[in-house]
Amino acid sequence: MGTGRMLRVYREYWRINILTTLEYRANFLVWFAFTFVYHGSALAALWIMLARFPSMNGWDFRQMAFLYALWMVAHALHNTFFSSVSDVPDHVRDGEFDRLLVRPLDTLFQTIATPGQVFPDELILALATFVAACIYSGVRIDLVFVLFVPLIAIGGALIDLAMNLAISTTAIWFVRVDALRWIVAQLEQEFTRYPLGIYSRAVRILLTFVCPFAFINYFPATYFLGKTDGALGLPPVVGLLTPAIGIVFVALAYAFWRFGLDRYQSVGH
Amino acid sequence: MTGSLPRRRFRLAPYVALASRAMAREATYRFDVFGSVASVLVRLYLLKMVWSALYAHNVSPAQLPLHAIITYSAVALLMGLVMDIDQTRALHDRLHDGTIATDFLKPISVPLGFFADGTGEVLFHAALIVPALVLSLLFVHIDLPSAATLAVFALSFVLGYLVGFWINFILNCSAFWTLEVSGVQLIVTWLTDLLGGEIIPLVIFPLALQKIVFVLPFAAMFSTPLLIYVGVIPPAGWAAALGVQLVWVLVLGGVATLLWRAGAHRIVVQGG
Amino acid sequence: MAIIEAVDLRKVFRSVVRQPGLGGAIKALFSREVEETVAVDAVTFTLEPGELVGYLGPNGAGKSTTIKMLTGILVPTSGTLRVAGLVPAARRQDNAQNIGVVFGQRSQLYWDLPLRESFALLRAIYDIPSERYRTNMKAFAELLDLERFLDTPVRQLSLGERMRGDFAAAMLHDPRIVYLDEPTIGLDVIAKEAIRTFVAEINRERGTTVILTTHDLADVERLARRVILIDKGAVIYDGPLARLREEYGTHRTLVVTLARPYEGIEVSGATVESREGLVVRLRFERRQTSAEALIRRVMNDFEISDLQIIEPDIDSIVRRIYIEGYADGAAGAPS
Repeated sequence: MGTGRMLRVYREYWRINILTTLEYRANFLVWFAFTFVYHGSALAALWIMLARFPSMNGWDFRQMAFLYALWMVAHALHNTFFSSVSDVPDHVRDGEFDRLLVRPLDTLFQTIATPGQVFPDELILALATFVAACIYSGVRIDLVFVLFVPLIAIGGALIDLAMNLAISTTAIWFVRVDALRWIVAQLEQEFTRYPLGIYSRAVRILLTFVCPFAFINYFPATYFLGKTDGALGLPPVVGLLTPAIGIVFVALAYAFWRFGLDRYQSVGH
Repeated sequence: MTGSLPRRRFRLAPYVALASRAMAREATYRFDVFGSVASVLVRLYLLKMVWSALYAHNVSPAQLPLHAIITYSAVALLMGLVMDIDQTRALHDRLHDGTIATDFLKPISVPLGFFADGTGEVLFHAALIVPALVLSLLFVHIDLPSAATLAVFALSFVLGYLVGFWINFILNCSAFWTLEVSGVQLIVTWLTDLLGGEIIPLVIFPLALQKIVFVLPFAAMFSTPLLIYVGVIPPAGWAAALGVQLVWVLVLGGVATLLWRAGAHRIVVQGG
Repeated sequence: MAIIEAVDLRKVFRSVVRQPGLGGAIKALFSREVEETVAVDAVTFTLEPGELVGYLGPNGAGKSTTIKMLTGILVPTSGTLRVAGLVPAARRQDNAQNIGVVFGQRSQLYWDLPLRESFALLRAIYDIPSERYRTNMKAFAELLDLERFLDTPVRQLSLGERMRGDFAAAMLHDPRIVYLDEPTIGLDVIAKEAIRTFVAEINRERGTTVILTTHDLADVERLARRVILIDKGAVIYDGPLARLREEYGTHRTLVVTLARPYEGIEVSGATVESREGLVVRLRFERRQTSAEALIRRVMNDFEISDLQIIEPDIDSIVRRIYIEGYADGAAGAPS
């Protein structure tokens, strides 16, 4: 159905999100505190490690802070705009999924535009942290930086979306996907904190070509910080490819999603 | 209040039943089980890579060579399988939805009932340590200390577990007075992992910070048993270390008991 | 021009045969043994615009599978299906625009916010023109008495209020066809009546085609002129409800609770259907034996502590059709 309709629905969806979040105000404060502690302790752990061991594969703490902050922005973007995709397995299990099929809109769009409680706190925190990290790390801010960083952040969010969608789609076959989700979440959240070079070759390939989380922050950071890591022998400029990688992987995940839908409609659940 | 009622003999059977039921319940969550073990393995791989990279290009601490810190990480993660369980979660949940009232009607001690219920869950997860350990050995080397060290470690582990148990109990008790604490619980879990030395050995911390973290109860949960295991706390220091843990167990246990009495009184008198 | 045309609709589910337990699960990974379940078998029917049809059958008969195919959720294994000229699964979104669905067990409203907000979102989803939206909201508010709780969060509504909200939600975009799946389940008598009045009204005033799936025979009697009965995946009756009742719904059951445990129970004019302790179920034909006469006979011969008359339900009618076979060849008779 028309783009105009989708835009109007999207606007309504956000209006309802905000209303719902306001409805549960108290909840919001606690979750903000949690977000703060989560990221705070991650950065604190990095700081403590690098205080004792100042260099990690040629990266110092300032650079690792930048690495983390860049990931944080993409991750927060994903959580703010695409998190409802993670609820698909529950909907398949309880039959709510059928409701999506009975409405005159694309199913993925509906999944993304499912009202709930959306807290923009993580995104604001991420942006603040990123600005601080840019200053702290002394990264060179030129035209390329200003143009590409927003695109890279969006690209990173798309990579997260693609993986989230792919895992959710497998629920059509396997129903429970929690274990898979946990493992991929660890790859996305914890492995991205460190320079890619510390991992074995197999893991580097995994994080670059299969679950391209290295493109969320590692490769772009390598480029912007002027490093010559050469992990996997790729030139640093590939860090600018993140938006393209994001789009490609979302397209692949969407194709997989359609394939899953076909099966759902032929086999039921 | 209870003056005229005779003191009943303590029966173990109902608690054992609760624990078995909890174990059976946990076993049905197949995917969570698989996820926990897989999660340990993935984290262990990560820590191995991280420490290896850090040790390769920097001066390593004499008291904790690379093989020791990797052993530390492995044992910490395995301990985490058991430590991360909130054994008295049922208390909080039932306070929340009001079913706590029926618990007070049962002829068993309410806190012990919760303990028994959680124990089943804990024992089941403890059993998971075995396959997790076996799989870990496929890609890391875990040092094996002397039998004496292992025995003291085991004792320290139990004490550390009890410290964690009381901390969770205290947090869950706050549900007597406030409505929503699950966010707070998560916050404490994250803090515990960092400040307790699960992720990074406390001896690696900058000295200024060490002064603070060693004084907190979280250190008694993970750091003490782990430092005993890897030998950073030598046999000469065992007694003192265990002593500190014991003090925490008693102090926190005391606080928890007071909170419980106050909260239970509130329920019984006010009807919650 | 018929609005729904189903010809030889068939749905077959295949699943791998597996034994229970861990061993069975592992074997199932390697086994090629597939078992086929025919959920819907050669179902054929036609609906004209404006019809109000009861689509009935016992649980597991294939009702919800058929509805899922009609609504585009499931793709038929074979056969032709056209809803308002479209093939539902192939033109999913366009088909969705033409239909409204009310699932009795599951609401499409948003729990946390006032009813009004759910409508606002649906308006955007179905792209309803403002004028039409206003008119419909006004009409439904009156018909369903929504004004009172339009601003109440859905989670605080009673079941009856929520169902009324769901009905309005389903009709908001003027669908040509409405599927009602167990719409009155769990409702009290007053709420049921309100819903039935509403359905009858929209069917009459707007010519909306209605397909009603329910276990509540009273719903059907109040609303449907035509009934399609399905069992074991096949249509075993398609025609007026009155005729179904007359021919196959003539039996009744008298449930007697005895005061004492009598030995052999025999009552002329009725057969003992079952006996559990003190409770005896007596089955009789309305045309042959009057309830009054039977009750008198029973009370004469035995000491009773309680009595109840049960009307035939869909299940017993279907069972009866199966045992006796559907004599009139109007719809596919079971072999």
